[in-house]
Amino acid sequence: MAPIIEMRNITKSYRGVPAVKNVDFTLEKGEIHALLGENGAGKSTLTKIIAGVVEASSGEMKHQGQTVSYGTPFEALSHGIAMVFQETSLVPSMTVAQNIYLGEEKFLNRLRGIYISAQQFLQSLNFTVDPTATVATLGAAKRQMVEIARAVHHKADVIIFDEPTATLTPEEKRHFFALMRRLKSSGVSIIFITHALEEALAHATRISILRDGELVASGKASEFDRDKVVRAMVGRNLTNEIYNRKRTAETIRKRGAQVLSVRDISMGSMVRNTSFSIFERQITGIFGLIGSGRTETFKVVSGINKRDFLRGGEIEFDGRPVRYTVPAEAVRDGIVYVTEDRKLEGFFETMSIAENFYSGVLAAGLEKHSIISFREMRAIAADWSKRLDVKAINSNARVVELSGGNQQKVVIGKGLAQKPRLVIFDEPTRGVDVGAIAEIHQFINQLADDGLAVVVISSYLPEIMNLSDRILVCRQGRVVEEVSPLEASEEKIMFAAVH
Amino acid sequence: MIFDPILDFFRGKAVTIPPMDGALKPNTLLEDAKILANVARPDCLAYDGASVIYASGNALHRLGVEEPVNTYGSVITALAISPRGQLAVGLNSGAVMLGGETLTGFTCPTALCFAGDDLLVCNGSENVAAENWVTDLMGHKASGSIWRVDATAGSRVCLARGLAYPNGVVAEAQSKRIVFSESWRHRLAVIPANGGAVTSVLPRLPAYPCRITPTPSGYLLALFAPLNRLVEFVLQEDDYRADMLREIESRYWIAPTLTAAHSFLEPLQNGGVKSMGVHKPWSPTRSYGLLVTLDADFRPVSSFHSRANGRYHGVTSAIEVAGNYIVASKGGNAILSIDARVGES
Repeated sequence: MAPIIEMRNITKSYRGVPAVKNVDFTLEKGEIHALLGENGAGKSTLTKIIAGVVEASSGEMKHQGQTVSYGTPFEALSHGIAMVFQETSLVPSMTVAQNIYLGEEKFLNRLRGIYISAQQFLQSLNFTVDPTATVATLGAAKRQMVEIARAVHHKADVIIFDEPTATLTPEEKRHFFALMRRLKSSGVSIIFITHALEEALAHATRISILRDGELVASGKASEFDRDKVVRAMVGRNLTNEIYNRKRTAETIRKRGAQVLSVRDISMGSMVRNTSFSIFERQITGIFGLIGSGRTETFKVVSGINKRDFLRGGEIEFDGRPVRYTVPAEAVRDGIVYVTEDRKLEGFFETMSIAENFYSGVLAAGLEKHSIISFREMRAIAADWSKRLDVKAINSNARVVELSGGNQQKVVIGKGLAQKPRLVIFDEPTRGVDVGAIAEIHQFINQLADDGLAVVVISSYLPEIMNLSDRILVCRQGRVVEEVSPLEASEEKIMFAAVH
Repeated sequence: MIFDPILDFFRGKAVTIPPMDGALKPNTLLEDAKILANVARPDCLAYDGASVIYASGNALHRLGVEEPVNTYGSVITALAISPRGQLAVGLNSGAVMLGGETLTGFTCPTALCFAGDDLLVCNGSENVAAENWVTDLMGHKASGSIWRVDATAGSRVCLARGLAYPNGVVAEAQSKRIVFSESWRHRLAVIPANGGAVTSVLPRLPAYPCRITPTPSGYLLALFAPLNRLVEFVLQEDDYRADMLREIESRYWIAPTLTAAHSFLEPLQNGGVKSMGVHKPWSPTRSYGLLVTLDADFRPVSSFHSRANGRYHGVTSAIEVAGNYIVASKGGNAILSIDARVGES
């Protein structure tokens, strides 16, 4: 029988950088096909091509034997392909029932009728969600349920789930997998992206593994075990010039004094009783998959998020208990968080490089004059542009006009202009070209050599292994293991991150 | 925020356990250490320049010699040897034997140390004997004190009071400070040599600190039991604890212990509950083996662990002799030896 989806030589490039490369992928009728890979391996891109969210740069896709190229998700949906996104795509101001029936409204609708049928439908899926609740009031797990219900409701013959279980409780997961099996037995084909290897091994019919945009393994789930999956996920070629630094006991920096002590902090379901220490004169690498709470933990440390009101744990900075309510307090104490989402949180894109650097100085209250001094601003901009080698026409250039690597350097410079004691880099080289990665790494190393406490959060294992003097691995909202770079291997770290 | 202290009152105080990371990162170096001797409840290690001396029950032994050096009328709880070879022994009865003299007036001598001609005495508690330390902990007591005794005249002066079970003491060689471990406050603290205000030098240890001894590069700190959330919780619940102390035999209390019991009556055995063949990861351990090396500023440098499933728990004393750490595992009934170079990290 011909596969329901057949992809040949699919490539998708973003500005010349391939996210998926020459991937051949098939989806049989009535199978659950798990798609595995590290963050950025190309799983989401591949499924987005199937669902019509993005178009492939080259290659051929056949749906039920017909060569197709869906331009929009609506077009794909009308042909029976539904995708449940990682980031929920519901309309927050509408009710659950309205969201489920969105796009299928009749000419005249009776709200009560929609609510009743939505209630029956949700009950049939064993999802305990109130159909009259506004989506904005729901938590992440319930939104995920509505998203899943909507895909099922469209009676699609192909449903793509992107990390569906990340926010579900064990009980909800049980219902979800029962639903998936029910859909499978009714002939629906399912693509299922997950980081939880147990889920893939337990529930999938077939498993495909992507690495750096390429399909590295594909076969029946029974042919895989956990070790084989992990090996395939991380077994990349490490000959890349940036990441081939040999770590020896001599190249690992000795611990300085303890700067930060975090004990049992909790924040909702994302950070759960995590404890760790950070020392000066050292780079501490934080590794974890998406949803492991690593970013959220350090956002709590730097005052961006607040820990739980009651029993939220304790944070000590320099031996002093702290509870920051706004980031400015943390900045004044010397904690700087360099964000992973630079476009949204990192810089003022319409302002100049100089203004961005100076905004960091202002935030830390380090300006020399009570009114803004353009001379001081220019001096600071010249200093940091030189130190970080920011490539721009001059310091009046707007940040939005710079390349990703130079934008990141501006974000880093803005943070470091605040004269911190603890610098937290969250995905410092995401979306940065190779040349800039080497420069940023060199700069991060220099900071630790200068005596600062440095934290590098990354989901790219070679980066963690190359930079860190000690590695902390996060899973399910807490630090679960500390690994020395001398004993670290990609398999060992990944094992700690997924088990 | 200025309202934080007020809000913190409503937020309640979190029960937090410091993480074992950095220099305290768990390993199995203590578990894998070379066994020098299997003896019953070894404690109070000291070196007289020729051999290692240790206490086992009422008797004082030389390492490797079966016959005891001396026996006393009560369990030996503290020991010190001066550079001139003078011996000081603390007993569970409260007596401190110094040369041929018996010093009385102490209730719980937990540690002794010579500072010049003087003897420093840690009196762990005014209420209980040293062997009954768990009652002091469960009673939330802080009645310990540190004394300076003139070894020749026998006069004494109190240097600090109101301490939560001082359990180890060392006089700094260079400066005029006395550093001691305060077990129930999980810290190392310091006082001026002639007494005065107590300040922390190493707070928030993840275990109960015990004896501290100097080494050429710093200090060795023995920690005899781990902090865990369950015990900390019990310590907060006054009614529950009062009932437990009243109704249950002390060895079954939810409290720290030097050794993992193997009785089926104890619900939490050896740091783990096995149910249907699965070791439950959440089950707290009541005993642990931990030895920490400190630098001259009392910052942890490296550590040696016998973990929840290990044998050499309840480390109460350790000394460095000829490049080796000699460790007394009171809970594990063994004296161990570790090459001092192994712990470099």
